[in-house]
Amino acid sequence: MAGLQTNKKKKNKLGMRRTGFIMAFLAPTLLVFCVFYLYPIVTVFATSFCKWDYTNITSPEFFGFGNLWDNYNYIFNKYPFFWEALRNSTTWAILGAVVQIPIATLIALALSRKVKGVKWVRNIYIVPNMISTAAMGIIFLQLYNPSYGIINPVIRLFKKGFSDNILLLHGPAFVAMTCAYIFFTGTTTLMILGNIMAVPEEVREAAMLDGASGLKQDWYIVIPMIKGTLKTVSTLAATSGFLIYNEVYFLTKGAAGTYSISYVIRELAISSPRTQFGRANAVAVIQILAGMVIIVVVNLLYSMNLGKKRIDR
Amino acid sequence: MNMRKDKPGKGVKNMSAFTRIFTYLCLAWALLVALVPLVWLVISSLKEDPLARPGFQLPESICLDGYISTFKDLHVLRYFGNSLFIAGISVIISVIMISMSAYVVARMEFKGKTLVTMLLYSTMFIPATALTYPVYRLVNSLHLYDTRGALIFVYACSGIAVSFFVIKNYYDNIPRDLEEAARIDGCGYVQTWLKVIFPIARPGIMTAAVLAFLNNWNEYYWASLVMITREKLTVPALLSTFTTAFNTNYNGLFSAMVVIILPPVLLYCFFSKFFIEALSGGAVKG
Repeated sequence: MAGLQTNKKKKNKLGMRRTGFIMAFLAPTLLVFCVFYLYPIVTVFATSFCKWDYTNITSPEFFGFGNLWDNYNYIFNKYPFFWEALRNSTTWAILGAVVQIPIATLIALALSRKVKGVKWVRNIYIVPNMISTAAMGIIFLQLYNPSYGIINPVIRLFKKGFSDNILLLHGPAFVAMTCAYIFFTGTTTLMILGNIMAVPEEVREAAMLDGASGLKQDWYIVIPMIKGTLKTVSTLAATSGFLIYNEVYFLTKGAAGTYSISYVIRELAISSPRTQFGRANAVAVIQILAGMVIIVVVNLLYSMNLGKKRIDR
Repeated sequence: MNMRKDKPGKGVKNMSAFTRIFTYLCLAWALLVALVPLVWLVISSLKEDPLARPGFQLPESICLDGYISTFKDLHVLRYFGNSLFIAGISVIISVIMISMSAYVVARMEFKGKTLVTMLLYSTMFIPATALTYPVYRLVNSLHLYDTRGALIFVYACSGIAVSFFVIKNYYDNIPRDLEEAARIDGCGYVQTWLKVIFPIARPGIMTAAVLAFLNNWNEYYWASLVMITREKLTVPALLSTFTTAFNTNYNGLFSAMVVIILPPVLLYCFFSKFFIEALSGGAVKG
């Protein structure tokens, strides 16, 4: 009897210890989550319905239910750059999934073949991804410079006497900015390559026996097998495309129709002389929601594609 | 003997001409994309006046003035020091924190585990830019604005999801017998983690740390937001002063750019094996 009780006590003590350990080890991360993510997100949502700008910095005022959507109204109907920014950011998100991922996959497949010098190419291809996008932005700013860059001489081959700064031309500026980041897919390529290398050798051999080699094998055997990774990297590429800021800041500062959503938020909240926190947070809410939409859309697209493949068989 | 060489579908000999040409085209494109901007930058930095000899023309004579002034007048080493300090401290804080909670989530059952996991994963999809103003205000109210502490705070707190993902995956692959053995030997929970699990999980934790360090080293958005004093800036934040600071001194600008991108590139050259294994999830050997 007595022995059982001490045993129970021991167990209880152990349970307490266990709970204490779990709590102690989780606490720092959860604290960070609450301070750095939860609290700011709640603030963003709540104050997107408040009058809050440079005139009342310390005390946001709730609009009341009658004018609940005032900030959103302003953003949609009066703020001149919102639709441009949303269109650009969405385009960059789509290009991330539609251009970056195929390029990254093609290069990863090429790198997976045992060709001479393939290790060198792989190592060199990742170098630009080790450099900050801010530095790459400045390098491209110089490349695009009309008087000493290398883009204008190339354009002059097709169009004699071209001497404009392409970053100031509506249209070309957007293309130029996109080209300043979109081809650097080093880390994505490596993640895909890692997955390609993990495809078991037996599967490849079986494919060979069925007469599928080279590109055919890649398309019918390898790609379906790495679909999970492709979905993940597509989501990441689309999300980071939607969030672009550095390229805009360093290349054009929003000139010639190149605003992005992140740029709008920072301009409204920090850099403009008449800061408008409530409205900036309204744009931030849209950015968060758009991020969720991107995840859902990419997931849907990949599951649709998979379904089709199965029917094909 | 030649088994390895003759593996099907991978060696050059087994490829059809089309596949081979296509492969080489892809590789050539990869080289072109990576090298053109960087080679152009280095060539330009050696020209006394890049305006006089634009494009890929080689310099008449090699001019190193820009490099000398980058160290002498720009004091670039100071900013490297700032970046190293800020990125280093924040990585240490975040990695210790995450490896503790990832362990609990990977190994123990408790109420609300799914919720905790979901919350931490969700941070991957919360754009930091959307939190610009609340975090900016938080930094101000903690009296951290324009201090190195501000950036350490931001970096240690952001990027939870990726580190969590990498480290938890690593824990999942460690056999549970080890802990049981340690428990039987009389180790408490903390001791078991500290003395048995942490050393074994070190490669996974290092991977997370390297990725986080690179991110923090290159981070521009927050670095330009919460710091003002020039002496305290990190390397990326210093870049935004470049376009105006150098005005028409292009030789100086190009040289400074080369110096600034050099540390991460050198670090990568020395540890490329490590980087490549880390980024490819261990499947590609460097």
